[in-house]
Amino acid sequence: MESEIVARPSASAAKLSLDSNETITCEVGAMIAMSTGFSVQTSASKRGGSGLWAGMKRMVAGENFFLNHFTATRPDQTLYLGPVLSGDIVHRRLAGETLIVQGSSWLASGPGVELDTTFQGLGNALFSGESMFWIRCSGHGDLFLNSFGAIYEVNVEESHVVDSGHIVAFDSSLQFSTGKLGDSWLQTFLSGEGLVCHFRGQGKLYCQSHSPPSFGKLLGPMLRAR
Amino acid sequence: MSPLDFDILERPDFAMLRVRLAHGQQLFAEPAALAAMDPTIDLKAGFQGGVLGSVGRMFAGENLILNTYTAARGGGELLLAPGPAGDVVHYSLRGGSLLLQRGAYLANGVGVEVSAKWAGARGFFSGTGLILLRAQGAGELFFNAYGAVLELDVAGEYMVDTGYVVAFEDTLEYQVTTLPGLGLGGRAKSFFFGGEGLVVRFSGQGRVWVQTRAINPFLSWVYPYRPQKKRD
Repeated sequence: MESEIVARPSASAAKLSLDSNETITCEVGAMIAMSTGFSVQTSASKRGGSGLWAGMKRMVAGENFFLNHFTATRPDQTLYLGPVLSGDIVHRRLAGETLIVQGSSWLASGPGVELDTTFQGLGNALFSGESMFWIRCSGHGDLFLNSFGAIYEVNVEESHVVDSGHIVAFDSSLQFSTGKLGDSWLQTFLSGEGLVCHFRGQGKLYCQSHSPPSFGKLLGPMLRAR
Repeated sequence: MSPLDFDILERPDFAMLRVRLAHGQQLFAEPAALAAMDPTIDLKAGFQGGVLGSVGRMFAGENLILNTYTAARGGGELLLAPGPAGDVVHYSLRGGSLLLQRGAYLANGVGVEVSAKWAGARGFFSGTGLILLRAQGAGELFFNAYGAVLELDVAGEYMVDTGYVVAFEDTLEYQVTTLPGLGLGGRAKSFFFGGEGLVVRFSGQGRVWVQTRAINPFLSWVYPYRPQKKRD
């Protein structure tokens, strides 16, 4: 499979070229346009599997229940994928390592990438009132991540602190703990910051310039009650 | 009649249309699109296609009224900005016609007639409302997108999610359908749980303009942040 990110950085879309029998898995709703030689399968998690429980967990976390698997049935097929919010897309090829991805930042991945949506390592992020879930991506293959705003990489050498809303993904080699920013929980609450993540160790961290929950909380009060 | 003197600024993310009208020249545009203009230009809220044409535009989701800008007191400059952040496309009509998704229409020069073309029940069924306007004649047409624009030259077949269609040439056949390969169950799952699964299948020869962002997914994204109604 070949890929190209077009219209970077703010209106980016992933243009994927697939040969016969190649498959890409993406969130339901990510498909913008495609040539007609694809077969599409919808499942709750892995291709061919039922994974109802994993799907339920995703739904509880506010994510889409279902994934779409696009398999090329003819050579030279093209598929365009795009995220919901304005921002960039980054392509990473996994070669055995594991990446922890923020749920809304995961766009698509190849069949060799194992997706564990039940990863609860940062589960207590829910405490901050921000509904977040994390996907553990491991194995071999293509992985596409999207960001809200610009995406930037941090090579953590010793330690780094990021607000949870600004995290796109990070290497599982990094140790992390969630914590408060100020001296007390009250101070953290008053500062308007969400939960922050302390990363320690060595590894790559992908961050986004804007935080989706912050934007949502800005818009929400201006809208009619649901 | 002198040709329309225009350029598109700040492409592709925040495109605006700048038109320099010669004395007496006219431009027709979506009313909300005006950003700035010289005082030499007269603005008339009018009915380019007559009352019936305007009613058609209303049903197609476009505003009833199309603004007419006339450089009545000497030449002048006009700046138009679309609602969403994104690109603006210029298309020269030479007797053919172009179909535009609701909301994509920005402006047109003299010689182009923009009218509503009823997409019928299949348009309604899509949920995202594939409601189309038809632009035809000979002249300049401008339309806008949310996000960037992908220009796809179809030779054979192509599928585009209904929410991402901006415009397409009338030489193409189109049909609203589901994603290929989905069984009945899969179709139901995809449609009801994901809101996807309905696509426009284009066939034949012609160009399709596709946007890289869509309004409805964004609205769905914002929805959970809306305040909860207070219960007594």
